[in-house]
Amino acid sequence: MARRDYLIGKMGISLLTLLFVLLLDFLLFRVLPGDPVRAVIGRNIRISADVQSSLRAQFGLDKPIFLDQFVDTLGQWARGNLGVSWSQRRPVSEILISKLWNTLLLIGLGQLFSIIFGVMLGLLAGWKRKTPFDIGALTFSLIAWATPTFWLGIILLVSGSAWFGLPTGGIVSPANIGKPLHTVLPDLIRHLILPTLTFTILYLGEYMLIMRSSILETLSEDYILTARAKGMSNFQVLMRHGLRNAMLPMVTIIALNLGFTVSGAIYIETVFSYDGLGNLVQTALVKQDYPLLQGAFLLLAVSVIAANMLADFLYTYLDPRVKAN
Amino acid sequence: MRNNLRVFVIITILGLILSACGGGAPTAAAVLRIGWLGVPDTLNPAYAFLTEAYSIFDLVYSPLVTESPSGEYVGALAKEWSVSDDHLTWTFALKDGLKWHNGEDFTADQMAWAINAIIADPDGWAALSGYVDGFSEATAPDAKTVQIVTEYPIANMEYRLSFLYAVYPPDFESFASPEELQNFLNDHPIGTGAFKMNAFDKDRGVLILDANKEYVDGAPFLGQVIFQKFDAADAMIQALKAGDIDLVLGIPASAYETVKNFQNVKAVAFEGRGFDELIINDTSEDNDPPSTGNPALKDPAVRLALETATNRQDLIDIVLQGLGKPGSTIVPPTLGGGFWHNPEIKPVEFDIAKANQILDEAGYIMGADGVRAKDGVRLEFRLQFDAESSNYPRIADLLSDWYKQIGVKATPQGMDADTLIAAMTAVGDYDLVIWGWVADPDPDFILGVMLSDQYTPGGWNDSGYHNPAYDALYEKQQSAIDKNERREFVYEMQEMVYNDRPYIVLYYDVALQAYRSDRFTDFIESPLGIEISASLAQVKPVDK
Repeated sequence: MARRDYLIGKMGISLLTLLFVLLLDFLLFRVLPGDPVRAVIGRNIRISADVQSSLRAQFGLDKPIFLDQFVDTLGQWARGNLGVSWSQRRPVSEILISKLWNTLLLIGLGQLFSIIFGVMLGLLAGWKRKTPFDIGALTFSLIAWATPTFWLGIILLVSGSAWFGLPTGGIVSPANIGKPLHTVLPDLIRHLILPTLTFTILYLGEYMLIMRSSILETLSEDYILTARAKGMSNFQVLMRHGLRNAMLPMVTIIALNLGFTVSGAIYIETVFSYDGLGNLVQTALVKQDYPLLQGAFLLLAVSVIAANMLADFLYTYLDPRVKAN
Repeated sequence: MRNNLRVFVIITILGLILSACGGGAPTAAAVLRIGWLGVPDTLNPAYAFLTEAYSIFDLVYSPLVTESPSGEYVGALAKEWSVSDDHLTWTFALKDGLKWHNGEDFTADQMAWAINAIIADPDGWAALSGYVDGFSEATAPDAKTVQIVTEYPIANMEYRLSFLYAVYPPDFESFASPEELQNFLNDHPIGTGAFKMNAFDKDRGVLILDANKEYVDGAPFLGQVIFQKFDAADAMIQALKAGDIDLVLGIPASAYETVKNFQNVKAVAFEGRGFDELIINDTSEDNDPPSTGNPALKDPAVRLALETATNRQDLIDIVLQGLGKPGSTIVPPTLGGGFWHNPEIKPVEFDIAKANQILDEAGYIMGADGVRAKDGVRLEFRLQFDAESSNYPRIADLLSDWYKQIGVKATPQGMDADTLIAAMTAVGDYDLVIWGWVADPDPDFILGVMLSDQYTPGGWNDSGYHNPAYDALYEKQQSAIDKNERREFVYEMQEMVYNDRPYIVLYYDVALQAYRSDRFTDFIESPLGIEISASLAQVKPVDK
């Protein structure tokens, strides 16, 4: 009963947050300086002022932002229609869906590996505190976390391509485009190696550092001492009493990161010419493509909010105190 | 002996025949992969704005006439053409054996339809409507003849026609509104060009073309061309080095030296059609809203002094790594193979002492803080530029340093490009701005940038230059049918702009390209670079 009330409350707050984000979305892009029509057509094309104004009318930009444009946009969204992208002339939902899977694949894999290795490394480093292993892992994590994404990506791309003949960009080779997934799987995996590796290295550091400090704190608790006194082995103490309690802050971080996962990793996607959401948002911003931007940010907001709800939900299982309150 | 000779001859002949056959077989499957940094916005010519789209149109579609790599206009669909004595009726005889990619015969009325569609719906055909200004109609007197009637003589007819592609009428006939036409993506264009569309995956930035074996000017030697998009230039360069791609059309100046040293890669530098300039606010006093430009900028002496204190060679060496040419007029030396650029106009030599002297003579007194002033007007300017450019911030720093030495304070300000446009044309809220243009093959467009009536919202005139004599010459050059006569007008217009200095043209760009010389040969290298559409029709794989 208590858990249900707790979850219903959380959902209500999430819904309010979403509405607020929608409003902010709409306003934010229209506050940007510049003219979307000019951004879409570029500078060097002979487009007469007449044609420009007819495009402006087509995009609905000739109407006042309030109330007309706002009401139009809300009406569209209410009907489940995200509109048509100005720069690509395709339905926004179609564009978003095609990019979403790619991003989930890359960032999902990257998150998975960085979580597994980060947690393992953090756990061991905390357990073996002040040993050369701890110092080595700590140094590596700090450097990995502080490395500029673009730089690491380029270094891995150049060395991977020169030494191992790995592909320099894209998701599959051009010759394999449009073929069924199972026939291009080896090619797809080859293309994923470098971007996934980049992502894993970059995020591993963060997870490792948080896990390490969290486990250190947990290990100093009285119940760990009690567990030892009961004669449990080191491994049992670490796994049964240490890991579960130390995972609490990790769940929050992981859930938050998973939410932002959908926004993609702009730099990694750019270096590896990976066709994902991060890249899309960046080009949409340059082109001032309002419908596309609004759609992408809506998706982002929904996924962050959903990930947070997931974290709240998991807490009720992991931490009895949440249930009690 | 005699028998041996006969056997030898027979074997030789057989060998020759076999080698000839063998030579043909591998070329059929040759795939050329091109790396690029953009993707066509759409393959619908009605609404395509990016140069990438036009590269594809030139390969898949054909216009009546097209610009050859040397700058001359040659027939694409047309075999020959003529114009009536009053210069109002153009008659084109089509080549024999023209076929669409789907095997249907190409007829003259289909070409006429494509041109009339643009005339009838300029809003829908937004990207091409400018090229049919002054067209009355196109007709097809018979299956092999196209006639175009114009309202007034059009001097650059061939240039305009080179953008009017023969689109496949059944694909374009059914649209009820401009919006419907523009939302049509045309992902599988059917044309008459040297290459047929195979696939376009816009999300992945991959576009695949197959050779058109029935191409009227002869089948290409390549079997397939693949365009592959890269989001980072460094990754594209690495792909060229690793052999993942065979041709790169835009190499950043900073990477050029590295690429030149790659094995099996030939890097080439070409003069382009672009230039960067310093724009000087020339907005007239009665503009609405009133210009905020420093009034001293109206003084020709100040403009001359600014140019004299601009070291073009240093800009080229420092900003472009030496890859560029000093700028003078707004018509780059490459247009029409050099025909339109006025070579008499030479940029003023860099001379700080002389620039100081010009300002002294004009009565600008050096102040205690190192800034000159006259009648209370200080020579203090905003120096604005698009902050996203990699070159402009450095240009701004250099200019600001030189101008400081002549008592002019120019304060660099990086800005958002759209904000800057909004502050310039028709508004005049700036002093000095660094920007650039890429000219069309014909001088008409770049000359149009200085017209008074382009100083309106959405127009191209960003300096506020207003000169009725110039505007009159522009009209004259538009209808001067005789090429040499037209050139006289074009020369004079360049001189006017150069002397009035709404722009100080800093340098002309250089285009940097590279290809895998171990794989392909016979690229056509024009002064403007590797001419893609002409090249791909005749590039050959290197025999291994």
